[in-house]
Amino acid sequence: MIAGYRLVMALVIVAVIIVAVLLVVVIWQFNSLRRLMVNVDEGYAQIEVQLTRRADLIPNLVETVKGYATHEKAVLEAVTNARAAVQHADSVPQTAAADGALTSAINGVMIVAENYPDLKASSNFLQLQEELTTTENKVAFARQYYNESVRALNTALVTFPSMLFAGIAKATKRDFYEVPNESQRLAPDVGFS
Amino acid sequence: MSVSFRVQESKNKRKTFILLLFMFIIVAAAIWAVAQIAGVGSVWIVPIAVGIALIGVWGSYWSSDKMVLKMTKAHVISHDDAPLLFNVVDEVRIAAGLPMPTVAIVDDPAPNAFATGRNPEHAVIAFTTGMLEVMDREELQGVAAHEMAHVGNRDTLVMAVAATTAGLVAIIADIGVRVAFLTRRGNNNPILLIVGIAVLLLAPLAALMLRSSVSRKRESLADATAVAFTRNPTGLRRALETLDENSAVVQARSTAVSHVWIESPLDGKTKSMFDTHPPLADRIATLRTMEQSGPLPQ
Repeated sequence: MIAGYRLVMALVIVAVIIVAVLLVVVIWQFNSLRRLMVNVDEGYAQIEVQLTRRADLIPNLVETVKGYATHEKAVLEAVTNARAAVQHADSVPQTAAADGALTSAINGVMIVAENYPDLKASSNFLQLQEELTTTENKVAFARQYYNESVRALNTALVTFPSMLFAGIAKATKRDFYEVPNESQRLAPDVGFS
Repeated sequence: MSVSFRVQESKNKRKTFILLLFMFIIVAAAIWAVAQIAGVGSVWIVPIAVGIALIGVWGSYWSSDKMVLKMTKAHVISHDDAPLLFNVVDEVRIAAGLPMPTVAIVDDPAPNAFATGRNPEHAVIAFTTGMLEVMDREELQGVAAHEMAHVGNRDTLVMAVAATTAGLVAIIADIGVRVAFLTRRGNNNPILLIVGIAVLLLAPLAALMLRSSVSRKRESLADATAVAFTRNPTGLRRALETLDENSAVVQARSTAVSHVWIESPLDGKTKSMFDTHPPLADRIATLRTMEQSGPLPQ
C-alpha cells in the first residue's frame, strides 16, 4: 500500500513539473511573439509619423519656392498631388508607392531650385532643405526598422517551435514596406513643359 | 540587424551586474582599508563600509547621466539650438528603434563625442563644439550612430558606473592617505596596516583596469552596430579619419570620464593595458573592409 502511494506521489510530482515547464515555455513563446508584433506596430507607427511630418513640410516648401521661382508651376503641382496621394493611401503597399512618388516629386523641386541662386541662399530654404533631408532619412530608417521587425516576426511564424504558438498569440504574417519602383525614386521626372 | 542587437542585451545586463558587484567589492575594500589605517574599530566598520559602497555604486548607477554631464560641463540642447545635430541623432535612434536621447554640447574646440545614461530611456549623447565644426552631415551621422550603438548595447551604463565608481575609489583613497598622515594613533597590528595600504594603492588601479577591459571590446562592437543602424560604413570611417587627422585632444580631460569619448583624450599614441579605445587605425581598417564588401541592403 505504502509503495503504491509513493508511486502515485512520484507520478503526481513528475506530472506537476512537466505541466509547470510546459506552462513556462508557452508563456515565454507567447510573449516573444507578442513582442515581435509590438515591434512591427511601433515600426509602422514611426513610418507614419515621419510621412506626416514630411507632408506637413510640403506646403511650406511650395510657398518658399513660389516666391522665387514663379514659372515652375508643374513641379510644384506634382509635389502637391504626390502629398495628397500619400495622405489618401490606406494600405502598406499603397502608402509605400505614394511615398516613393512623393520622394521623387520633392527631388524634382530640389533640382529646379538649383536654377535660382537667391532661393538656394535664402535661410528659409536652407532650413527646409535640412528638414526635408532629415525626414527623408528618417522615413528610410523607419522603413528599415519596420522591415527588420517584419522579417523577425515572419520568420518566427514559420520556424519551430514559435510557429506552434502563432494561433494563441493571434500572430499573422505582415507585409514588408517596399517602395515598388526603385528606379522611380532614383530618377525624378522633371517636367520641362 | 537593427533588431538582433537586442539579443545582446540580456547578456550585457548580466555582465553589467557582475561589473557592479566587482565595483562594490573594490569600494568596500577601499573603505575597509581606510578604517584600518585610521585605526578605527574593525568590527563595526564593516557594515558601514558595505553601506557606503552600496549607496555609492547605486548612486552612480542611478544618476550616471547627470553626473557625466556635470563632469564634462555639457549643456543640453533642443532641436532649434542645433537642428542638424538634433536631426542626425533623431535619425539614428529611429534606425535603432530606441527612444530619443537627450542631446548635449560640450564647449570644446577638440572634436569628440560620448554617450551615457543608465538605460536607453535616460540616455545622453554629447558632442563637442569642435566636432560640429569639422564634421559634415554624413560623418556626424556615423558618429551619432556609434554613440547610439553604445546606448543600444547598454555600454553607457557600464561605462558610467565604472567611471563614477573609479572616481569614488579615488576619493576614498585620497581620504585614506590624509587620515593616515593626520592621525598618530595608527593601528597596532602592522600586517593589517600593510594590507590596508596595499588595498588603497591597488583599488584605483583595479578600477582603472576593469574600466579599460570593459570599454575596449565595446568600441569595436559599437562600430559594427553603428553600421548595422545606418547601413553606411563610409560616414563613420570618414569621421574616424577626421578625428585621426585632428590631433587636438579634448581639453576637459578628466581621467574619470576618458573612456566615454569616441576618441580617447588620454591615450596618445601608446598602447597599454589602460587604453580605453582600440587604435583608430584598426577601426578605420575594419570599416574599410565593410565598405569593400559591397553595398548593404536597406
